Amino acid sequence: MTRNAVKATDEAVKQGKDTQGTDKGLARRDLFRAAGLGVGALGAVAAGVTATGGTAEAAPAETTSTGYRETDHVRKVYEVSRF
Amino acid sequence: MSSAVDHIVPPAVAEEELFRAQVYALLARLLARPPDAAFLTALGGLAGEGGEFGAALDRLAEAARDSDPAAVEEEFTTLFIGVGGSERTPYGSFYLTGFLNEKPLAELRVAMARLGIARADGVTEPEDHIAALCEMMAGLIGGEFAPEDGDTVGLDGQRAFFDRHVGSWAGRFFADLETSPSARFYRAVGAVGRSFLAVEARAFDLAA
Repeated sequence: MTRNAVKATDEAVKQGKDTQGTDKGLARRDLFRAAGLGVGALGAVAAGVTATGGTAEAAPAETTSTGYRETDHVRKVYEVSRF
Repeated sequence: MSSAVDHIVPPAVAEEELFRAQVYALLARLLARPPDAAFLTALGGLAGEGGEFGAALDRLAEAARDSDPAAVEEEFTTLFIGVGGSERTPYGSFYLTGFLNEKPLAELRVAMARLGIARADGVTEPEDHIAALCEMMAGLIGGEFAPEDGDTVGLDGQRAFFDRHVGSWAGRFFADLETSPSARFYRAVGAVGRSFLAVEARAFDLAA
């Protein structure tokens, strides 16, 4: 990122408010954009990694008392097992 | 949390936060197993949007275009599986203590339980594998887990998890990957990971 962008974000933080969506949230967003982390940079690859089968799948862990109906899906968190 | 169904649908996530989750998912995918031909082709179409991270994405695209699936698979095996010891050992415990399955893994398991993250059935690798951790970060950002206290995991929670279990070592791992003698395609993956984590750390500081 550029020096100016760093300065701008640092300034934003100094004046900062305290929650997301305020100056800090903006500074954070500006940092990501200045660093080349723009939405859309991953393009089709993003769809590839979030679609089923392309990547390990993240899901909530099973909690108590909600039954096991969803167990197969719900317990599945990641699948780095194909070594 | 009144029912399990409530947290199946993730809450709305701001665009840049969604992008973070996508980068983590991409890293998880590339570090869990080698990319096949179709995925390499998709990676070849990546175009960075400036900055060190954007440049790293450009190099990853170039590396993908110059690689064939068989070679990348062999490279992956040498780097991470390798008979008689792999070139890299992508586990947090190893990086933090010099040994696998040490205290950092135990601490991670405690954190996972609290955050409502479970290991998939049939997975035998320790949970502190880099791909698993990247996937957990993606899930935390996307609001896909159901923390014990019924609350959602905000930036503070993400940061605490990141600092303890990811930022404490993964930057070194990615830097090592970048300079691994056997790496070609995965050097570019290392650069993407290292530059991304640097932005992540800085962004958490901004939000603090």
